Amino acid sequence: MFKTVLKREILHNLYSLRFMLSLVLVLAVFVAHSLSFVRSHASAMEKYRETRGLAVKAMQNDASQSATRLAVTPRYFDLRPRDNAFIADAKERFLPNALRYSAWNVFGFQNKSGSSNPFLPRYDELNWMFIAALIISFVTFLFTFDAVSGEKESRTLAQALSNSVSRGTLLFGKYVSAILSVLLILVPGALVSLLIVLLAGSVSWSAGLAGETAAYLAVAGLLTAVMAAFGLLCSVIARNSNVSLLLALSAWILFAVVIPNSSAFIAKNLYPIEKAESVQKRVNVAFEDLNKGAPPGSWMMNSGNPFLPQHELRADLQRKRLAAEKAIRDDYYRVMFRQFEKTRQLISISPVAAFGFLVDAAVGGGYQRFRKAWDDIHVYQTQFQEYFTALDAKDPKSPHWLNPNEDVSTTRLAADFETVPQFTEQPMSLSGRLKPALLYLIILVVMGCLVFFASFILFVRYDVR
Amino acid sequence: MIFHIAKKEFLNNLVSARFVIGFLLCLVLIPFSILINVDDYRDQMVRYRLDLDAAEKSLKEIRVYSALRPQIIFAPEPLGIFGKGISAQVGNKVRTRLGEMPLLAEGVAATRDNPFLASFFSIDFVEIVAIIFALLALLFSFDALTGEKENGTLRLQIANTVSRSRILAGKIAGILLTLLPILVFCFLLGSFVIMLSGDLSFTGREWGRLAALALAALVYLAVFVFIGLLVSSRTKTSVTSLVLCLFLWVLLVFIVPNLSSYFAESFVGIQSRDNLDRVLNDFDKATLERIAAVEKSLPRPDWQMSWYSNSAEDGYRELYGLSASYFEWFRLRTEAAEPMRLDNADKKWGPQRAYLDSLDRQARAADLLAMTSPAGIFRIVASALCGTDRATYQARMDDVRRYRETFVRYLQGKNIFASYAYITPTPPSAFRAADQLIEARSGGKFKNMREYDDWAGKQADFRARFQILNTVKLPNDSPDGFPTLNADDMPRFSGRAVSVFGALEGSILRLGLILFESLALFALACVAFIRYDVR
Repeated sequence: MFKTVLKREILHNLYSLRFMLSLVLVLAVFVAHSLSFVRSHASAMEKYRETRGLAVKAMQNDASQSATRLAVTPRYFDLRPRDNAFIADAKERFLPNALRYSAWNVFGFQNKSGSSNPFLPRYDELNWMFIAALIISFVTFLFTFDAVSGEKESRTLAQALSNSVSRGTLLFGKYVSAILSVLLILVPGALVSLLIVLLAGSVSWSAGLAGETAAYLAVAGLLTAVMAAFGLLCSVIARNSNVSLLLALSAWILFAVVIPNSSAFIAKNLYPIEKAESVQKRVNVAFEDLNKGAPPGSWMMNSGNPFLPQHELRADLQRKRLAAEKAIRDDYYRVMFRQFEKTRQLISISPVAAFGFLVDAAVGGGYQRFRKAWDDIHVYQTQFQEYFTALDAKDPKSPHWLNPNEDVSTTRLAADFETVPQFTEQPMSLSGRLKPALLYLIILVVMGCLVFFASFILFVRYDVR
Repeated sequence: MIFHIAKKEFLNNLVSARFVIGFLLCLVLIPFSILINVDDYRDQMVRYRLDLDAAEKSLKEIRVYSALRPQIIFAPEPLGIFGKGISAQVGNKVRTRLGEMPLLAEGVAATRDNPFLASFFSIDFVEIVAIIFALLALLFSFDALTGEKENGTLRLQIANTVSRSRILAGKIAGILLTLLPILVFCFLLGSFVIMLSGDLSFTGREWGRLAALALAALVYLAVFVFIGLLVSSRTKTSVTSLVLCLFLWVLLVFIVPNLSSYFAESFVGIQSRDNLDRVLNDFDKATLERIAAVEKSLPRPDWQMSWYSNSAEDGYRELYGLSASYFEWFRLRTEAAEPMRLDNADKKWGPQRAYLDSLDRQARAADLLAMTSPAGIFRIVASALCGTDRATYQARMDDVRRYRETFVRYLQGKNIFASYAYITPTPPSAFRAADQLIEARSGGKFKNMREYDDWAGKQADFRARFQILNTVKLPNDSPDGFPTLNADDMPRFSGRAVSVFGALEGSILRLGLILFESLALFALACVAFIRYDVR
């Protein structure tokens, strides 16, 4: 019986105007997105290569002058534009995308907005994630909002139930058929888009990409299931389809527009953090204290004479200053991470938001990617520091007074650039992606089950007359 | 007759579920959006006051003209509470520099404190209005004709002696009459929240702009009513009409505006900021080389010893306790270097402007594409009215650049680059030759420079060479005791307030377009209804 219901519902959906319109709209947006991505990714990669090339050249130049200069000069490591950004850009344009480091410290991060235009209003990039989060969730509501109330109005519901079909089977049939119909719109769109991106040569086909595409489709299917459950709920709550439509639209606006866009407000008010100015003040105070406690002559400098005894005092002071500042800043960074993470957890009460975070994790992008790079560069920095101190130790002409900021009292020999450890960003591992995804996955599954169960209970009690 | 039809429509709508739910939706979302942004505005005001105090304080603590670099802080725009526009991403601080024209303001609000929060978007009143009003307008108009046709009442109406155009006019009036209270209610509610938050006070100008925003919202609303009617008059059933209307809503309100920015960014490139920075750096290097050449050509001072010196960016240099000829050396250097740096700033402005133009071109392309949707036009007009759009920001930055010219003229008028006051508060009458300084500082141990040099050459400990010169402290050897600079005659930056007409000036064309759109849609709806098969 379930099969009959499913077949009838799917055919009903397929022949409907909304299916045709959704298909055309989704396909059009997918194609527009892919064409746009091909173009923007190429220019982003070009810019990245140029910047990276210059950064490597600057490092080579410093290394050829002296190993100390190479070690103490702070430089940026720019995160590469992600090839799979067409699935989800994970708001990487707005997140910090450059890490500042030297052999002595990982100073911090920033959003290098070199490629973005401050005059453009902020907008969501039209990638696969956006298409599912906004259009597909909307289409799902369109397929389900009148599934019950609409049939009641056209008086077919009573007829359907007069057959030997249980209410549960009927509702589940409607539910599954709505999900399948939506997937019939999404999957061709995504495949066409993938084809365009592959044919244009922006990205190359790999097992990883296949996995990410499959993960995206699975997660989008899950979102569809949750939204369909909400749509059915709206449909069984109301007695007529007009009201259920309004309920569904209100829910959609709440999930897709209001909650995700309240995150900055939530972050600031529920999880307030210290202001950047006051952190800077604390750093200044720490510096002043250290300066006051430093032996006289610590600031005396003569770059012509590496063995000037004051250089040792200053090297000592500079190391202490670095450690003091690092402690304060790293602490503040951890607070920032916590504020961001907690806000994300809270706004995942919206399935659309949870879906977004889930896709970000699936493609290994956005915040998680940044955090991995952030942790990795700390490991790298230790290696870089060890490399440098070993090099310095070998130089008999160096006083070995390690100063993290100055090219004075350590080796003046050039470093062989080939042997200098380089930082490379590693793509996120499967477990690295799964771990953050788990929470959002659980939220979506539980929410889907609960809402479907609620609509089942209500449907059992539904007056079909 | 029109009145009767309008009244019937109005009453019909009033008792419908959509009116109640629409009203409730507004009742929740409007205060929420306003409160979010009031909170944000307060935060900005606190920062603004802190920044302003810091800027004022730093002006009062300086002792030399080379440190006089007024910092301009833009006050947050009160109407930004209604429409944020691009205000969160363009910054609000500009430091007046001699060596560079202001390019973009610093202190971008979105990346302060926690830069990760920049990836969170936030919603405002204008956005809510654009989304909800379009939806309500479509929901009230999609079945205006199809619904009556399905009920069989349309036939009855037309059987009376009333023309189709009157029926249509009556329906439009009825729908607008239903929506108008919601719109008025939303704006009143918004204003009410503003008035309740005690620390906010809007001037008459701001209320005027808010009223203009309400008018723009009304026109926007009308466009969507006409779209709904047009769809309704071209379809046979309400369901079809509804589905079409909802798709149009998603397309026009969400997809087109996003797509337009996305397309503009992909297909209308901007110059690379990194590249610009490199070009500017090259200019700076060339200027530094020219200045170094000047330094070489200057007569050598008798003692190249900066007893107490401070220097930082943009030509700041504060000197104490130098020999008279070394002071003179610095004066001559500055007299030549500062005009060179000013000239360098003018040269750099070429590439800077090209970069700004490329940003502007891309944003204009995005605007142009967004104007294919009434929601896009409404957002542009609304941010212009709220004073948070690109044009307002650019006008403000132009003002800042003009102010820099005024400031430079002020410095040049004082012939300050050729004056010692640019680098030291020490009066020239107190300058001494190197020999005198050495004699005084060493407490008479050395009579002149040569004696000191002979002695110093024999000292193994580097520090001892300086300690001997600390035997007697001279009064002019440090900033202590010198008064701070009085720059009260310095011209001040004054921003201009955005007036209703000023804000509308750039948007007239867009408002015209949206009006034209609504008229065209109305005409189309009329024609479609006249040809409508009412059976």
